[in-house]
Amino acid sequence: MAIRAFLFVLSCLAAATCRGATFSSLQQTLIVTASPQPAQVLKAGEDEITVTWSLNSTFPAGVDSSYKTVTIKLCYAPISQKDRGWRKTVDNLVKDKTCQHKIVANKPYIFPSNNTFTSTVLRDVPTATYFIRAYAQNSEGDEVAYGQTTDSHKAVNLFEIQAITGRHVSLDIASICFSAFSIVSLFGFFFLEKRKSKASESK
Amino acid sequence: MEISHGSYNQKKFALPVDSEHKATEFRLFSAAAPHMRAFHLSWISFFACFVSTFAAPPLLPIIRDNLDLTATDIGNAGIAAVSGAVFARIAMGTACDLFGPRLASATLTLLTAPAVYCTSIADSPISFLLVRFFTGFSLATFVSTQFWMSSLFSGRVVGTANGVAGGWGNLGGGATQLIMPLVFDLIQNIGATKFTAWRIAFFIPALFQTLSAYGIFFLGQDLPDGNYSELHKSGEKHKDNFAQVFHHAVTNYRGWILALTYGYCFGVELTIDNIIAQYFYDRFNVNLHTAGIIAASFGLANLFSRPGGGMLSDFMAKRFGMRGRLWTLWVVQTLGGVFCIILGQVGSLGVSVAVMLVFSVFVQAACGLTFGVVPFVSRRSLGIISGMTGGGGNVGAVLTQVIFFRGSRYSTETGLTLMGVMMICCTLLITLIYFPQWGGMFCGPSSKGKTTEEDYYMSEWSSSEREKGFHRASLKFSENSRSERGRKIGSAATPIDGTPNTYV
Repeated sequence: MAIRAFLFVLSCLAAATCRGATFSSLQQTLIVTASPQPAQVLKAGEDEITVTWSLNSTFPAGVDSSYKTVTIKLCYAPISQKDRGWRKTVDNLVKDKTCQHKIVANKPYIFPSNNTFTSTVLRDVPTATYFIRAYAQNSEGDEVAYGQTTDSHKAVNLFEIQAITGRHVSLDIASICFSAFSIVSLFGFFFLEKRKSKASESK
Repeated sequence: MEISHGSYNQKKFALPVDSEHKATEFRLFSAAAPHMRAFHLSWISFFACFVSTFAAPPLLPIIRDNLDLTATDIGNAGIAAVSGAVFARIAMGTACDLFGPRLASATLTLLTAPAVYCTSIADSPISFLLVRFFTGFSLATFVSTQFWMSSLFSGRVVGTANGVAGGWGNLGGGATQLIMPLVFDLIQNIGATKFTAWRIAFFIPALFQTLSAYGIFFLGQDLPDGNYSELHKSGEKHKDNFAQVFHHAVTNYRGWILALTYGYCFGVELTIDNIIAQYFYDRFNVNLHTAGIIAASFGLANLFSRPGGGMLSDFMAKRFGMRGRLWTLWVVQTLGGVFCIILGQVGSLGVSVAVMLVFSVFVQAACGLTFGVVPFVSRRSLGIISGMTGGGGNVGAVLTQVIFFRGSRYSTETGLTLMGVMMICCTLLITLIYFPQWGGMFCGPSSKGKTTEEDYYMSEWSSSEREKGFHRASLKFSENSRSERGRKIGSAATPIDGTPNTYV
């Protein structure tokens, strides 16, 4: 009896530390499609993405009873994760860094679902290859199911986003002007120094 | 009416001075010309160079997305940032000798400012590496700082002056981890997007560097009696033979050992400056601001830890002489290695920060302790030995980053542990340093031949040079260095000129 209580407490603790659950425990019950074509290049800050999601009807009815909200994210394809440990995929969803850019967060889940969302790609999205994933969340905000535009190997249906450079002509000009000014003033120093030493010599 | 040359001795200085007009007191809160003013100018400009060199690491989470950098690109840029200064520091020693520390450091600071301005227009991994490489040259101002302090402060306070100037300059590596995220936040709030805001932010360290160069040129002075260009023309300063100075520097094995061990205290400090913000951001999921604050506290410990190391070295020398300095250096640096190993193993945020702080104190104190030994390795070639040791620090930074922190071979925490192991191993070399007149860690002073301090330092001058009287400064220094015997009875014979001393 005491052992069972102990194991129960232990499993509750384990569940508590694994808040957000693991990716492998999620069911892929959503079907997600998006407007970008395979290998299309979108421009950050300019082009739009339209995402459509619905429930996969092959699953038994009632599987979505706990789904309350949906969050859709831009996720890095494996090629953009290579040699970049800060985009690593791990099973624990709290630590997972695959999907770092939100397209829409906590949109209410409506049944029967056939929802669409359109937005412009944000200007702070970096240049990389992406796919789109939608998470269904329960009332606590924990992920309980997902759907994505690519397959399980994340190899098909990937698209690219081209980021803004962040450079402006005014910045370029300012950099060059200040640099030139530094060098010119250095030569000014040498000239002044030579003049001073000549003056002290002639005294 | 013309005033004769003898008037130099009647010139009033704000601080008490010795016969060479070097200050015998170090007054931190004074800015009196030329001594304390030069101190403040030199540590501030060295601080500015450190801020510029390590301005990129706290903003890397933004920059790596903007420039599409891989972990290898980031590692290479970090290595480039510290590799330029390896040779620049050695060259700086020579430049100080020839042109004086004022011109040498103002020139280098102004020459590297364009690299910082141009960081704003970097748009690829290669351009990022190039700007970090050229900005890193500015770290050679360390040598001009130490050289300038040694020219203006007498032996009694030069350790303190050097330690505080070096430590407060190194502060820049910590301050930048606070300053850059703050400036970035400010600019973002004004309305710029992330990828533009970081570029604008780089103008701050660049402008700071430019202004400090101006300050040094207009307000600084090489020597208590004037600037090099004036003194060379008037014939008061004698120029030594570069080839001889170089020869005596590279043939002294102690310089090479200290260069390597400095690579594993200062080099480790530079490495941590490069990687620690990203480490906390990625491993513990803190935000950019918090990662910056944590990373800053590592460098900010320099406020007291490096000067403290220098003072500890002087304190141990009073009782135990040079052997005390060597033992303390070995113990402190080895403990630094131990804490580095622990840092890599710890998995919780709070404990990790605490361990990092203890680690920072030990590693920076080791830097201060190293420069408690360096002034005694050679008198004639002090500039180049200092430059070699300083350059060795950067070599250590390059080595550790190449081996442990480049690409994805080791995770950062494994790299930290392995770096700690390497620290402990390389620090063992200190056991090999031996001064015949004072001893080493395990051996006492040489009893055969009764080597004195004079013998050691006079061996750097040939008999023809001694006839011309060039060795007089070294002779004065040998007398003063007798304090390195410690309080116990010295083993060497009484000195040549027969001055009575307390232990006969």
